[in-house]
Amino acid sequence: MVDSCFQCGAELVAPPALCASCGAVQPFRADLSLFTVAGLSEVYDLDVQTLRTQVFALQKGLHPDRFAHAEPTARRYSLEWSTRLNEALATLRDPLKRADYLLRCQGVDALGEQVKVADPELLMTQMIYRERLENIMAARDLPGMEALRQEVDKAVTKVVQRLKELLAILPCTELEAAGSAVRELQFLDKLVGEIDRSEESLQNV
Amino acid sequence: MALMQIAEPGVAADPHQRRLAIGIDLGTTHSLVATVLSAVPTVMRDHEGKYLLPSVVRYLGGGEVSVGYPAVAAAGQDPHNTIASVKRFMGRGHSDVQTLAGHLPYDLVSGEGMVRLRTIAGEKSPVEVSAEILRVLKERAVETLGGEPEGAVITVPAYFDEAQRQATKDAARLAGLNVLRLLAEPTAAAVAYGLDKGSEGVFAIYDLGGGTFDISILRLQAGVFEVLATAGDSALGGDDMDHALAEWLLREGGGDSADPLWRRQILQQARSAKEALSSADETMVALPPSPGCAALTVKLTRRQLESLILPVIQRTLPACRRALRDAALKLDEIDGVVLVGGATRVPAVRALVEGFFHQMPLTDMDPDQVVALGAAIQADALVGNQREDLLLMDVLPLSLGLETMGGLVEKIIPRNTPIPVARAQEFTTFKDGQTAMSIHVLQGERDLVQDCRSLARFSLRGIPSMVAGAARIRVTFQVDADGLLAVSAEEASTGVRAEVVVKPSYGLNDEEIANMLQDSFRHGAEDVVKRRLSEAKVDGARVREALATALAADADLLEPTERVAVDKANAALAVALSGNDADAITAAAEAVEAAAGPLVQRRMDNALRRAIAGRSIDDLGD
Repeated sequence: MVDSCFQCGAELVAPPALCASCGAVQPFRADLSLFTVAGLSEVYDLDVQTLRTQVFALQKGLHPDRFAHAEPTARRYSLEWSTRLNEALATLRDPLKRADYLLRCQGVDALGEQVKVADPELLMTQMIYRERLENIMAARDLPGMEALRQEVDKAVTKVVQRLKELLAILPCTELEAAGSAVRELQFLDKLVGEIDRSEESLQNV
Repeated sequence: MALMQIAEPGVAADPHQRRLAIGIDLGTTHSLVATVLSAVPTVMRDHEGKYLLPSVVRYLGGGEVSVGYPAVAAAGQDPHNTIASVKRFMGRGHSDVQTLAGHLPYDLVSGEGMVRLRTIAGEKSPVEVSAEILRVLKERAVETLGGEPEGAVITVPAYFDEAQRQATKDAARLAGLNVLRLLAEPTAAAVAYGLDKGSEGVFAIYDLGGGTFDISILRLQAGVFEVLATAGDSALGGDDMDHALAEWLLREGGGDSADPLWRRQILQQARSAKEALSSADETMVALPPSPGCAALTVKLTRRQLESLILPVIQRTLPACRRALRDAALKLDEIDGVVLVGGATRVPAVRALVEGFFHQMPLTDMDPDQVVALGAAIQADALVGNQREDLLLMDVLPLSLGLETMGGLVEKIIPRNTPIPVARAQEFTTFKDGQTAMSIHVLQGERDLVQDCRSLARFSLRGIPSMVAGAARIRVTFQVDADGLLAVSAEEASTGVRAEVVVKPSYGLNDEEIANMLQDSFRHGAEDVVKRRLSEAKVDGARVREALATALAADADLLEPTERVAVDKANAALAVALSGNDADAITAAAEAVEAAAGPLVQRRMDNALRRAIAGRSIDDLGD
């Protein structure tokens, strides 16, 4: 389908937000995926630097600051596009959120409350990691913290690699395996956050 | 389509009709205004060529107000009516500023809402005091530019909360300014710095002002400024160093530390000593006499100063660590560290920053000017003087959330999220047959409602009666590019909806603003005689107060005949003060000063002799 400018009728190039010929900001399209809004094709294995460059290039034309003196409708469109671009950057730059988003596009809510974490091995690893973190805190063991961090970072890299393979061809056919990888990544993600906070509290005392 | 003329958004039709815009750095100790002239950001100066306006306001009564250097000069004699560092009170309630109040000679009025200060001109809110400063800067801009500025960008510490931001906007409205945007101070500094250097990369902006500390991490890439993280402390700054030093001097001086006049004088001495030690290794601090304590001169070395202020400046480090963590950056990924704020001139601060970031901070732009220059650049862009090269992506300074069961806060949008942003979360009912839900919007990083700032409350009614947990209520937060928050709640099955645009609790309503504006017009029209009378009365009272202090300390320095003359002149001044003749009061005050001349001279001589003899506080101790 080819989109055309609501004002001058010229053909719009993707994403259909600004008309290249008359400069008019187009009505917001809530139906477009975050990838489309960012002007990218739908892939899991994307380069974050390219994503950032792309989103900021679009923000330069669409941000509300560019429409401070425009009429209210154009200002609203600009706000909606700009908000969505920020959402695209925040979601797609993060390996966990990006995978979760791709699965949700296929109707799978991998992190929803209904999903039971049935993987006993994951639960066990989780318990062991937490115990180690507690011991490190009790001993105020900063080198131990750094070792734990490196180990967790490695685990993250491994899961992301697995997701790259599972989501290499879209739509994904191995939804179950992908969902479980997303849950594992979320658990590791939270652990990294806790390591950060714990380390900070050790440093600040 | 030839007949349809479509203007590009934001492009001025005629380059000669350049829109006037200003950037204002409304600082704790100093304020200044800048603009972009022929594509060059420039600070604007007063008639004497000074660009810094001390953020000090003195109320003289009769509607007369003096702002800046004259007010600073009077601060020592008229501490109750001379308001300095008012920024620390902006958007703050009485209970918020209790810890500050101990340091300050102001008469705070307790009560609901924003704290007020009791002055000779009545109770003044921090908003009104700030508006006086902004009014002077606006006048300076009108004179320099030859016309009313169309809009202004005013900078605030990145860590200012909604109430503090709203108070700043209210002050600007009161001063007759159209606020285009509030801009975080460190972001403004990065804009000025980044555009000046044309450099790309990740910058840490360490901004230690008079009363606030901010650390921000920004990435500048292809003309887009992306704020990666901000952290800081809205009650930590150079003033705290001055107070730490002043407390020490008060202890050393051993006088009556409750005497506001003396405290203020000591504080000024502490400030000058700190500034002197930015370049010198040691300095002499002259302590003025006070009841129960003669004048003293104390030697202070840079090392002593550093050990006194170290606890203060070390309090900046946790925020630096937090900002790095929020930005998900390691120390070696920071390409440059920019120092902003007068307090970063202190060598100990520079050393601390260098030690933490493992690199020499960049200091080649004037730390006093850089924030105002950045604000001017952003203002210029926002009024429509197109700058294709610049886009500033700002972030939410503090997390926004909702109250949930048990007085807990559920964060909906975490701090440092780029704006504009919209986020939604689903909630449900917790009782069978519940048909309404109360929504309480909060701002802050803490987990408990009582530790966060309440922004708004509203109710969603008309939820169909269902069992607990069956209703699906979607609450959406939308923050626009100006940082304005709108919250809406919608029940999924019926589509019933409620929404609110957040008006912070401490903001002023339109009626209050209108009243204040009318008041200020009335004051402006007040007759000259009345104004002169109040001025003379304040000065006369000051002379009597100063004399009492001097006599209490050093009455024995006067010959009996001299003492009689002084007492006579003083009595005459008391009589004049009870009357309404400004000229008589001024004459009587001058007579007292003349009679007390020998006393003043001898006290000064004594102080000097002690200083020359090199008797420092260390020798006097035992």
